[in-house]
Amino acid sequence: MRSEKLQRACVALVSVSFLTLGMQMPAAASVIGTAEAIAAGSQTGSLATVHAAVSRDDVRAKLAELGVDAVQLDGRLAALSEAELAMLADRLDEAPAGGGALEVIGIVFLVLLILELTGVIDIFKKT
Amino acid sequence: MIRAALPAAALLWGLTGCAASPPLAEGLPAGFPRSIELAGTPFFAQDEYQCGPAALATVLRESGVITSPQDLRPQIYVPGRRGSLQAELIGASRRHGRLPYVLAAHAGDLVAELSEGRPVLVLQNLGATRLPRWHYAVLIGYDADRNVAILRSGTSERVELRWQKFARTWHLGGRWAITTLAPGVMPGHAEPARFIEAAAGLEAAGRRAEAGAAYDAAIARWPHEPLAWLGRGNVAYGDGELDAAAEAYLRAIGLAPTNAAARNNLAQVLAAANCLPEARRQLERAAEFGAGTELAAAVAESRAKIEALPEPRAACALANPALPD
Repeated sequence: MRSEKLQRACVALVSVSFLTLGMQMPAAASVIGTAEAIAAGSQTGSLATVHAAVSRDDVRAKLAELGVDAVQLDGRLAALSEAELAMLADRLDEAPAGGGALEVIGIVFLVLLILELTGVIDIFKKT
Repeated sequence: MIRAALPAAALLWGLTGCAASPPLAEGLPAGFPRSIELAGTPFFAQDEYQCGPAALATVLRESGVITSPQDLRPQIYVPGRRGSLQAELIGASRRHGRLPYVLAAHAGDLVAELSEGRPVLVLQNLGATRLPRWHYAVLIGYDADRNVAILRSGTSERVELRWQKFARTWHLGGRWAITTLAPGVMPGHAEPARFIEAAAGLEAAGRRAEAGAAYDAAIARWPHEPLAWLGRGNVAYGDGELDAAAEAYLRAIGLAPTNAAARNNLAQVLAAANCLPEARRQLERAAEFGAGTELAAAVAESRAKIEALPEPRAACALANPALPD
């Protein structure tokens, strides 16, 4: 008596799981994320996302090379969109990396230095 | 040589000064207070090269996240660059369930955000275009009468910069500023495309609940934005709420009949409800509208998967599917 009830309950449970499995399996296929849809609609994005998988590997390798701890990489990469990954894959070396406040270097000095570097002036040379 | 250089330097100085910045009083949009200072904003003094974690901790804490620069350092600092990248500040905000909204490049948007009581994380270039010195600080206020910007910056709890000087460093930094918003909160001056893109970033990072709150807020403000409905549908789909997902995708398609992503995603819901002919029809349309974009591959994959499904034993679960052609 008892075991019959249990059996029936088990059958019901299994069929429910099948039902939900049946619902979920195609669902687990691919919906297109909103970020991808936005990138597809914009000029800049369309090239970017094609190579998303490549970008992710590139950024991972570059960040590791720049000293980011390996255990942090997964979490950091997972937080970025494909467009952001593509941008970093292209420009990680020159993208702004905020580090800290400049102490006291006057803008005049910088302007003179730039003029020096661009060859307009040569006041920093002794000769 | 130096005589020739001085006028040149003066000229450069004048040019950069003019390009960026009138005094604050002239640029202050109508209807905003003459001065604001969010004096209760927390302060974290930065360690060497750690202005990114310090500034991000400031705005995240202000939006209700319990965190510190020490917590954030392993999430954003790049030792080889001796600094932190903008994209990773954005990523770390998502990891803490906050929506990183990149403000439009106008001082008016900074003021609008401050007037809502939220400090703004800004990127400054304290060097020059060709010799950049990147720095993150937090703008906590301004005073139009005294013509100053007020910041939490570096090791200083409170810095006043002449407005033009702040504006110039912000201009040289690309006029980049973010606010980190709690779920469902709108920025002081919200643009639909920026806001929905920010929500999509949360969705992509797997923060479905927060993305859903953002999409709901977007739909309440802009009910005719198809991408907000697409996002709402994706969140519902991820939560296994297929009816709600279908309804949202239908709204998106109603507003943007050629949106290949919405068609593709609706097809997934239809397939899950055993409506294979209907799903195939939506995928045909998705393929048509997605041709030539990078969505084409995703749509082709969806088609292949649906063709591989066995014929369903149960009938289509949608009694009267009023589907768009």
